[in-house]
Amino acid sequence: MTPPTLRILLTGLFLWLPATNGWSQSATFSLTTSQGSALEIFSQLDPLAINTIHSWELVLHTADGAPLSGARMSIVGGMPDHNHGLPTSPVVTGEITPGRYLLEGVRFHMPGRWLLMFDVISDQGSESAALEFRL
Amino acid sequence: MTRILIAGCTLAAMVGLLAWRLLPNPLPADWEPAQRALIQSLSLSGLPATPVDPSNAVAESELAAQFGHRLYFDQRLSGNGEVACANCHKPQNYFTDNRTLALGTETGFRHTPSLVGLAYSPWFYWDGRKDSQWAQALAPIEAGHEHNLDRLQVVRLITEDPLYKSQYEKLFQPLPALPAAPRSASPLGDELLRRNWEFLGSDLQLDINQVFANIGKTLAAYQRKIKPGRSRFDDYADSLAESSAVMPGSLLSKDELAGLALFIDQAQCISCHNGPLFTNFEFHNTGVLAIAGQLPPMGRYDGIRLARQDEFNCLGNYSDAEPSQCTELRFAKDDNELVGAHKTPTLRNVTETAPYMHGGQIADLESVMEHYNEAPTSMLSHNEAKPLALRPVQLKQLEAFMATLTAPLQTEQKWLKPPDG
Repeated sequence: MTPPTLRILLTGLFLWLPATNGWSQSATFSLTTSQGSALEIFSQLDPLAINTIHSWELVLHTADGAPLSGARMSIVGGMPDHNHGLPTSPVVTGEITPGRYLLEGVRFHMPGRWLLMFDVISDQGSESAALEFRL
Repeated sequence: MTRILIAGCTLAAMVGLLAWRLLPNPLPADWEPAQRALIQSLSLSGLPATPVDPSNAVAESELAAQFGHRLYFDQRLSGNGEVACANCHKPQNYFTDNRTLALGTETGFRHTPSLVGLAYSPWFYWDGRKDSQWAQALAPIEAGHEHNLDRLQVVRLITEDPLYKSQYEKLFQPLPALPAAPRSASPLGDELLRRNWEFLGSDLQLDINQVFANIGKTLAAYQRKIKPGRSRFDDYADSLAESSAVMPGSLLSKDELAGLALFIDQAQCISCHNGPLFTNFEFHNTGVLAIAGQLPPMGRYDGIRLARQDEFNCLGNYSDAEPSQCTELRFAKDDNELVGAHKTPTLRNVTETAPYMHGGQIADLESVMEHYNEAPTSMLSHNEAKPLALRPVQLKQLEAFMATLTAPLQTEQKWLKPPDG
């Protein structure tokens, strides 16, 4: 495992811990990035479920609570237990309101453990966060 | 004394081996909450309404479905007058043909997939090279080894058949006026067809393409009606709403229940064969041998490229969708993981749709179970599946579970036979 990946894994703070005995899950997650920014995730598909393409809204705030506007974000992920990635290539297609971004093209195709990595580049530099959940 | 000892040890080893191969594990009295949730997630009761297809404005039109139904069974839609969609996708065989490779005007290159429940899929063909049911329906018509017709002749058929002409013009705009010659033309096909296509000029090409696309949309409107029916498994899964008891012998036998337990857990079938249709409609490389006489196919790796280039895709001129609605195409994945990957088929009615895999390479379910148990190295890229180390008795149990997924289609009988008149 490369040091940056390890750093992301270690610094991604999982405020939401998954229940392991359900099929579909809560559609809201809260993370703290490696720089201390808050990343809130709202799935437009609620509850989250497999096999349906949908969008997420990603809300970024700096550590002192101001909306983090003008950021560039990229998302990759997959299922570590199956050694494969996402079935789609989700893309942040716009900033809806300051600090609130639209992530389109999200779909999950298997039940199990998913791990997503969020990379954010903004005026305050590069930061990252990891999200782990079960479907 | 030594002889007796050796004989005793040999006998014990043989009994042990037989027991390992044949004795089933005991069933639990109750499902765990996670198992129960997984089983319920497979019930047809959880199947949502057929997804809308924004690229097809007539997807829900009854008139379009009637038109498409007639076309589906019409052998005039082929170069030799003998091939209709129904030749390979036979309603009586759950819309498959029980052949290894499809037989159109010639033997084809892929096994005929079932059409049951396919309206729920975002992608079509084993390699996903089409992104709508209507775009898919067009390709076999012009494929030399399938219908071996061309789009100009299709438009002529619609124009010259009074019933088709009338039905078409009720649904769409008036048909274009066609020149007396050439009779055949297409941007695909041989040099003559392509030269004739150029001769037609761009305005008429656009008109012909639009009619051709509309024909595909009516065929899709019909195929959207082909849906699976409730099977014994669904009744069992729904019964778990009341109780978590495993209950062997009630709705499912002991072997079937043991197979179900393996399906959702140790065998990991549910990873890909998930949801009420027992498929995620995604693309996976499972190390299936190449089709005899063919190189190992690139699968979805090529399929997504072809889908993006397709003039009939969701973002194309003949789609009724806004670009923003073409989410699957816009955000499709495109990387090396897709090399050799083929689409997961439904397992509903799987006992009736042998042979299996994209080339019909595996003859029966017993061999399918052995294939996944072994998880052989893929000829191209890597096999996503891992060896399962299941015992022979467990493979039989998985096979027994498959039989609980077979049921008559939910589709009205009138759609399962050629239209009257």
